[in-house]
Amino acid sequence: MTNYFARRLAGTVPVLLLISLLVFLLIHAAPGDPTLLLLGEETNAAEVAKAKERWGLDQPLYVQYLKFLKSAAAGDFGRSFKYTEPVARVIMTRLPATIELAIFAIIIATLLAIPLGVWAGAKPNSWIDNLGTSFGLFGISMPSFWLAIMLILLLAGVLNILPTSGRSTYGIAGPEQTGFYILDSILQKNWRAVWDALTHIFLPALALGVNMLGILMRVTRSSILEVMTEDYIQTARAKGLRENRVIWRHVTRNALIPVITVVGLELGTLLSGSIIVETVFAWPGSGSLLITALNARDYPLVTGVVMTYTLAFVSINLIIDVLYAVVDPRIRY
Amino acid sequence: MRTIRMFMITFAAVALTLCGNSHVAAQTRISIGVTETMETYNPYGDSVSLLYGIYSEVTGPFCTYNYAKGDFEGRLAERWKNENPTTWVFYLSRNYRFNDGSTVTADDVVHSLMNRVIGDPQSKQKASVAPSVTKAEAIDKFTVRIHTDKPTAPLLSFLCDRLIVTSKAAFDKYGREVADKEHMMGGGPYQLKEIIPGQRLVLQKRKDHPEAKKNPRAPDEVVYRVMREPEQRITALLNDEIQIAQFVPPHMRQRVEKSKNLKITPVDSVEIMFLAMQPKPPFDKKEVRQAVCHAINRDQLIATLLEGSASRLDGPIGPGQYGYDPNLKPKMNYDPEKAKKLLAQAGYPNGVDVELQTPVGRYTLDKQLTEAMIPMLNAAGFRARLLTPEWATLWANVQKGTTPFYYMGRGSVQDPSAALHQYFHSRETPRIGYSNPKLDELLDKEQQEFDPKKRRQYLSQAMSILTEEAPACFMWRHKLLWGLNNRVDYKPLPDARIYAIDMAVKR
Repeated sequence: MTNYFARRLAGTVPVLLLISLLVFLLIHAAPGDPTLLLLGEETNAAEVAKAKERWGLDQPLYVQYLKFLKSAAAGDFGRSFKYTEPVARVIMTRLPATIELAIFAIIIATLLAIPLGVWAGAKPNSWIDNLGTSFGLFGISMPSFWLAIMLILLLAGVLNILPTSGRSTYGIAGPEQTGFYILDSILQKNWRAVWDALTHIFLPALALGVNMLGILMRVTRSSILEVMTEDYIQTARAKGLRENRVIWRHVTRNALIPVITVVGLELGTLLSGSIIVETVFAWPGSGSLLITALNARDYPLVTGVVMTYTLAFVSINLIIDVLYAVVDPRIRY
Repeated sequence: MRTIRMFMITFAAVALTLCGNSHVAAQTRISIGVTETMETYNPYGDSVSLLYGIYSEVTGPFCTYNYAKGDFEGRLAERWKNENPTTWVFYLSRNYRFNDGSTVTADDVVHSLMNRVIGDPQSKQKASVAPSVTKAEAIDKFTVRIHTDKPTAPLLSFLCDRLIVTSKAAFDKYGREVADKEHMMGGGPYQLKEIIPGQRLVLQKRKDHPEAKKNPRAPDEVVYRVMREPEQRITALLNDEIQIAQFVPPHMRQRVEKSKNLKITPVDSVEIMFLAMQPKPPFDKKEVRQAVCHAINRDQLIATLLEGSASRLDGPIGPGQYGYDPNLKPKMNYDPEKAKKLLAQAGYPNGVDVELQTPVGRYTLDKQLTEAMIPMLNAAGFRARLLTPEWATLWANVQKGTTPFYYMGRGSVQDPSAALHQYFHSRETPRIGYSNPKLDELLDKEQQEFDPKKRRQYLSQAMSILTEEAPACFMWRHKLLWGLNNRVDYKPLPDARIYAIDMAVKR
């Protein structure tokens, strides 16, 4: 098992190197100059030259990349051009907001998708199946930026029951401890702040989670349909078990294995999906940070955020691989 | 007896509740939905209009432009004079104090200018705030002398509403990062209370400040909330989540005006919008450039797409901007027949291919307006195509001088000197690449002329050449529409800076 884990871990190194090279080359190849974008409209050639020297942009690209690799290996992604702070620090202040949002999106998606999927799969071709399938299709097809605007219009505008944007109302939350507002407010027993944070997170989490909801619902339905035809389900029924018990105890438990895998894989997709949703809802996470960095051609920050996302993807895949190996020893060889 | 006791208890409870509420109501808070982000704790670390306004309010401002008077007026720097064309002396107010009670002195101004704006490698403001400043020195506790490397008549347009004066003592004691993040000291009427990058920035009024005493109805707290999406800002305004929404798009104006609690306050922006043409074929011929200007029906675009929310420009600048001349000639009126003739005169009787480039979403209805310009250009004999590159790409190419024909805006034009130099002086930037020795001479003269009357004359002559030679067609200044709750009285400024101290809130 240790050998297997070491092999899988070693396999992630070339992936990370390749991604870092690609990101570095792509962002540098993109038209646009950070000095011209960041130094203000009145800037001049002398100021631009000074900034390029200061930011190391006057050096050949391969030198810049090697320097980046060397410091990145020590966990240092350099200093953000825009924020004038270490990239790692800037990312760490924004990451909890994104993780909190992703967790809530998963909660909303799974709470709705699994019962719907089970129900639709258990009663194929019924009205509930048609409704669930249509709902799943809606979730998969709906562009999140459009859905986000519609949610703002309906729930914040017409019904006026939720705030339009942001992460909290000024003056309610206590001092930040972990960066996770809801957790911080619970730890401080500030229930008003918990409610405030929940009302703020609901719309962006829903906009982010609807796509995952659609996918999960369809995967759950297919999985349920497959398990329903297994012999042991017929046996359970032959034993005289009630249908509800057959579905929830025997079918669903076995059908959820692929669903859990999809949830894990979709976590990575949620991180990238947050880029648009965070921008629309002014959610101060790493997704909106990436957009700001891209618009400013803040090379170190763009590379840092993308590498963080890459690391998250790779880690999730590694964990899933290891879990598979734990469940099925044949995979280790 | 029991009844009386119960009544007394109830009365006391109600009275206490009311007292509590009145205490809360005594504090006024205004939330403002803004479009630019607030991303850094370092007041010198960014160079965007909103941050200049906010930090100017926290730290002074040093001096400010009064649009009603059409001239600069003192705040922290009460008055100033020129000792000679390259030396300015500024006299500071003795009443400005930092949050810790210490007095704002000439040493703080010198420190802010030389160590933070010019000397700090993290600063992004040197070219915008102190482009020609070489030295600043404290003559005494409240007098500062500033030297420039060349005569710079429009120096005030760089310093006013931009120079952020922070505490030297705090910087020396805590170092740059901690001083900015944890001990942000300013001498202005508001102090910084909270920044959450990308989300909000909160200011609190300093009630003992001389400016705050002048306007006790100014809000006690101001929350700037980042809301880039127009739909978000308008919905939040309608819900009373915010009380001021910056930049309401013209097509959303009616939604705001329909609400009995809200109003729209328009203001002519000082951002000038223009079509720039590099003098390369076919725009190397003056007639082609003039044909473009005569082909565009600006009045129609303003009346239809912009729903009246813009003022036509008949030259580089308009009323209220320094050096505006209402009698400037020639005027490039809409005349498609004349445009066709000019095109034929230039050697293109069968038309010519041109590609107009525009940013998307950076300026009000930029894509829609330029889309509407294409058939107008085609009707005058051009074969025009519209390109919409991403802003960072377009801006980099404009700065390099590789974009032949583009729609662009230039903000913060209270005094047009810097903008005219940037785009039209042959030795400044390649953004247009136009070269005219007579124009260069006039622009050099105006920059070195300290007599306002003569300077305005030079500017007027320079702008007349520009209108005639047409390296750019000057289109309009947008009317910026601000959505305001009726509880707030505020006259927004043409440069989109926000000064909460000029607001009045109904309690």
